[in-house]
Amino acid sequence: MIGTLYSERPTWLHRWAAGSKLLALSIFTTALFTLESPRALIPAAMGAIAVYVSLGRTGPTGRRPVVAALIAVVLLCGFHALLGQPWVGASSALRLLGATCLGVSLTLTTRFDELLRVLETLFEPLQRWGLASKRLPLMLALMIRFTEHFFVQWQKLDEAYRVRTGRAGGFRILAPLCIQMLQAAHRVADALEARLRP
Amino acid sequence: MTSNYRSLSLISLFAALMGVLGLIPKIDLPLGVPITLQTLGVMLAGCLIGSRRGFQAMALFLLAVALGLPLLSGGRGGIGVFFAPSVGYLLAWPLGAFMTGWLMERLPRATPRQSAFSAAAASAIGGLLVVHACGVAGLVAVAKLSWTQAALGTLAFVPGDLIKCALCAVVVHTVARGLPGWEPGRKQA
Repeated sequence: MIGTLYSERPTWLHRWAAGSKLLALSIFTTALFTLESPRALIPAAMGAIAVYVSLGRTGPTGRRPVVAALIAVVLLCGFHALLGQPWVGASSALRLLGATCLGVSLTLTTRFDELLRVLETLFEPLQRWGLASKRLPLMLALMIRFTEHFFVQWQKLDEAYRVRTGRAGGFRILAPLCIQMLQAAHRVADALEARLRP
Repeated sequence: MTSNYRSLSLISLFAALMGVLGLIPKIDLPLGVPITLQTLGVMLAGCLIGSRRGFQAMALFLLAVALGLPLLSGGRGGIGVFFAPSVGYLLAWPLGAFMTGWLMERLPRATPRQSAFSAAAASAIGGLLVVHACGVAGLVAVAKLSWTQAALGTLAFVPGDLIKCALCAVVVHTVARGLPGWEPGRKQA
């Protein structure tokens, strides 16, 4: 079963509404990417990092993306320092780290369905132009179900190949998997039509 | 009406394929950009379900990632990944799938062999050129590299992606033979 990166451990940010958090994230990251002066950029990035740190122990799901961003930041700073432009490296590093910390904080403290509801509301005006925002939850549910289903299929095909040849299937099983997927799509479409057609 | 449901299931299904390909471990390169099998999913989506649905499948996948599902390779996900240096590559996936599908719809595909050659060409342009062009633009914008530095940095991915183009052609060839009624890149299934 595919989980989400949401953390069940309650923090102060869990109490904020998903819409408010998304709005704050949009404003703050736009500011981070437009600020040029070190006097403004350093406190803004530090503020973003402080939000992440204030969530306390976030576990591996919260730590991993920040560690990955840190590695990228170190490499970037080193690269720009070698080119003799350390401030360019430092400012990119601050923006990246600040934005990543805010993004991770939002993901850790907001449920998948809450974010989805905000998006549905945001996309509602687009229905006039043919974007079926009401179908989004169904498509996401199908996607999650199919991911699990086809991962199991991949493993079964791999096992069958291994039994026949004594070797792992690797990319050889990608084509039969695609054929199974395309056939499944027809069956699912028929089932959806039978169930959802008004 | 059936084609609407068929589109809906194909879009969800190819977004799911991206998730399955993400379960295969990634390799990290310097500058924080990972090599993943998911670009193969971009090529396959364009070649097998066409430009519009390919675009929508990739957009749906990225939406699921932004909402917090750990579907990118290495179990990454959440809105934070869209602030990394690799953001240009990620956002290029829908465009890459669209371009691959658009070309596939216009290139010859009367026989499985023709389909395979067309898939190789379409995925080289859509899945490789478009994705790398946007990736380079992302590196320039986010990591503040010069265009030359970013272009040189992205060259490390090209051999791997060329292999993925060949792999995509093999898959399209097998699908064209295994499902004779299926036309890769057809607008209406």
